[in-house]
Amino acid sequence: MLLKYVLRRLSIGLVQLLGLSIAVFFLIRLLPADPVSRLVGMNASKEAYAQAQMQLGLDRPVLTQLSIYLGFQPDVAPGLLQGSLGVSWVTGSQVTAEIAAYLPVTLELVTLSFLFAFAVAVPVGMLSALRPGGRADKGVFLYSLFAGSQPEFWWGLLFVYVFFFQLGIAPAPLGLLSPMTTPPPHITGFILIDTLLAGQPAKFVEAAHHLMLPVLNLTFVLSGPIIKMVRQNMLRALQSDFVLYANSIGLPRKVVARYALRAAMAPSMTLIGILYGFMLSGAVLVETVFSLGGIGQYSVRSVLAFDYPAIQGVVLVITAISLIVYLLLDLIHAAIDPRIAY
Amino acid sequence: MSALPDIDALPALPPKRIDWLFRIGLSIVITVTVLAVIGPYIGPYDPTLTTVRVAQPPPSLLELPGLLQGWFAGTLEYPPHFMGTDVSGYDIFSRVIAAPRTDLVIALTANVLSLGIGVFLGLIAGYFRNFATELLMRVSDVMQSFPVFISAMVLVTLAGRSTSNIIIALAFVYIPIYIRLTRAEVLSQKSRGFVEAARAMGNTEIAIALRHVLPNSLTPALIQSSVTIGFAILLTAGLSFVGAGVRPPTPEWGLMISTGANTIILGEWWPSVFPGIAISLTVFGFAVLGNALERRYEDG
Repeated sequence: MLLKYVLRRLSIGLVQLLGLSIAVFFLIRLLPADPVSRLVGMNASKEAYAQAQMQLGLDRPVLTQLSIYLGFQPDVAPGLLQGSLGVSWVTGSQVTAEIAAYLPVTLELVTLSFLFAFAVAVPVGMLSALRPGGRADKGVFLYSLFAGSQPEFWWGLLFVYVFFFQLGIAPAPLGLLSPMTTPPPHITGFILIDTLLAGQPAKFVEAAHHLMLPVLNLTFVLSGPIIKMVRQNMLRALQSDFVLYANSIGLPRKVVARYALRAAMAPSMTLIGILYGFMLSGAVLVETVFSLGGIGQYSVRSVLAFDYPAIQGVVLVITAISLIVYLLLDLIHAAIDPRIAY
Repeated sequence: MSALPDIDALPALPPKRIDWLFRIGLSIVITVTVLAVIGPYIGPYDPTLTTVRVAQPPPSLLELPGLLQGWFAGTLEYPPHFMGTDVSGYDIFSRVIAAPRTDLVIALTANVLSLGIGVFLGLIAGYFRNFATELLMRVSDVMQSFPVFISAMVLVTLAGRSTSNIIIALAFVYIPIYIRLTRAEVLSQKSRGFVEAARAMGNTEIAIALRHVLPNSLTPALIQSSVTIGFAILLTAGLSFVGAGVRPPTPEWGLMISTGANTIILGEWWPSVFPGIAISLTVFGFAVLGNALERRYEDG
């Protein structure tokens, strides 16, 4: 039953991704941009322009370009069907390889921030739900409204100013390791895991130190909406009949709270998924502030350089990950909430 | 869109609900709106012209009274730089108060566009359910699964970094939300008695949809507006921050923060801190307002 559900969701997701790929493909070609002159320069001769156009494959009819991109003409160039996102127009390397290098940084940053935001939001949201309308509740409400509406990149800069420039307890915002350190061998791409696998605890500490401010930064903005959500779901759970019943048969408060928390967490999963998907591209500003070199910065670079294959690849990969996260969280939701069956 | 009711048509807010927070939010929003109209003209300097004083720190609070006195008396060599100047010599104060003209106009226009289009399409999708509207919803699903920041960036950069293109890009990004919200509300409204009554009176389906269902289905979209405007300001500033937004020397908060970002690690905090405070307060103001509207709606 479960397997069937997962397979169905995955196949719907594939169709959605296909639709998205085609939509993005046409969208960026409909916009009045000229990537060829961007690459060869405005003053290039007609011959140079034509040659560049041919190299990029932009002299072919649009539908031919699409079929190459989708992978229906593997004799010309490998496409999506062959698992290739094409070659970057700027660097000349495979887009899949580039994304594989940049993506783990963002996944690591966003996942860590979610874990911390969750660790803060669950107890805080629970506390404020226990006494709705009380002073603590009002304070928490104000905080969550504030944190949820902030320009995160500006806070990042403030953190840099305070913790790096004034206090000197944070490293300069120049990446995941200091420029003098040789990075650990690339195994998973997640720097905290790679340093441990390579048996280099000193570099692990260094990377954690460099991740401290960006993670704090994202945790701050994420905690706003998550606290709000935990509070609301917890309130709803505490007012439900099963909590009334559990209280009336004299179960200890702790046990009741645990039941209520479980019931409150289940519906939170959907919002977490949406937030996570949003953050995969939304983390770009924090990545920029701290020069982390994640997928967001890669996308900025590609967009500013009119690198169509890279743009298509980034959008596709980020959306695919969001869809997978939605699916996983729906499965967790079902695991927590026994009323949901697939 | 003649059927859009004015805001007075909403049920009146019980006075006890107007707490101090709501008042703060409202004052922020009003201040920013006023600045969007007069901001570019009231600063001591032209917000788009440089001065010869580069990277000058703001005066300390102790110096401020003397400076103001001198300014009014006309004994100063040049008008004071209340928030200092940036690396190019722009007066930060004049630019901070001129920026709502850029930021708020972009956010408001983008919101009105996406609200108008989204509500209209949502009404159609909810009221008339057929193959075409199903297709519309699927397209809207695909649009909504685009990563927001990247799509806005792609649209603006490839179409050309101009104010109008930013507006169009933001509107494009926010349309699906309004389609979804309005459609859901229309679905719950159209089975109500008043619709049946209107039909019994001999109204055409289009007349029922526009004159009866639409006004009753607007509230969620209008509440969402306040939140959307706030996020649109954040997105506009974010786009400028990565170099995909308005062009210098347009006074825009995100652009100003980005100018200061290069020097903040050297201790020059003022070029980014002041515009940041402006964004922070503005978006918070819209969030407070949106929250108050939402509560009022939930209370009925």
